[in-house]
Amino acid sequence: MAFSEAEFQRIYDANAGPILGYLAASTGRRDVADDLLQETFCRLLVQAKSGMAADAVRRYLFRIATNLLRDRWRSGEGRAFEEPAEAAVSADPNASIDVRAMLAHLNSRERQLLWLAYVEGMDHAEIAAATGLGRLSVRTLLFRARARAKKFLNAGGELR
Amino acid sequence: MNRSDETLRQALHGYSASIAASHSVPPSAAVWLRAERRKRRLAVERAERPLRIMQALGLVCAVIAAGWILAQAGSMRPLSSFGPAVLVSALASLLLVVAGCWAMVLASRRSL
Repeated sequence: MAFSEAEFQRIYDANAGPILGYLAASTGRRDVADDLLQETFCRLLVQAKSGMAADAVRRYLFRIATNLLRDRWRSGEGRAFEEPAEAAVSADPNASIDVRAMLAHLNSRERQLLWLAYVEGMDHAEIAAATGLGRLSVRTLLFRARARAKKFLNAGGELR
Repeated sequence: MNRSDETLRQALHGYSASIAASHSVPPSAAVWLRAERRKRRLAVERAERPLRIMQALGLVCAVIAAGWILAQAGSMRPLSSFGPAVLVSALASLLLVVAGCWAMVLASRRSL
């Protein structure tokens, strides 16, 4: 059975923000993140059936979003992390760490893994389900991503 | 979680909050409408698939049948023994059958 509009509204309200953040942090572009966000929920409505648990829907949405990011990367778009001008203006001027520079320093997969682990609070199994990677791969890649992020920030003197 | 992990977590959370504050998500109704349009298009494609297969099959059958008829006619009597009017009519009929099938296939593609 397909989702009702009210059920979809609840799912959208609960998940659109986190998915948009994930896409924006992975691509570095708000316009692309907006487009991919709509496509993610569109695919959920076309493919998924009603009655899924909230956690399963969340994992499913992150899986779709990750697949869309991978497709974009494979098509040759989105290799570089760019931030449009208006986003730079809206960033917190008091932030001691230049997160945008750090994210730009990492590759797309590293950005995704760090975001899922630190912002979404997912464990290795959940990240594996959301990205389609094996659990051991997640562990290794996350370790590398974390090390690269810390190395970059340490080089800038922001982490001691 | 050590101190640098915590700092990294806080930094990413801060960035997440700045994204949320500076950019609102598109309205859910727009996504719902987009999905509904896509569902309708997919349903039409599914419904028309057997029709398109039959049209393509019809086109192939028409070409094979026309070739076979011409071959039979040629083996019974040499083509030169037919009058020019008969040959022209046969050729025109063949072309009309092929063009008709082709037009049907094109029309069904355009309707999607």
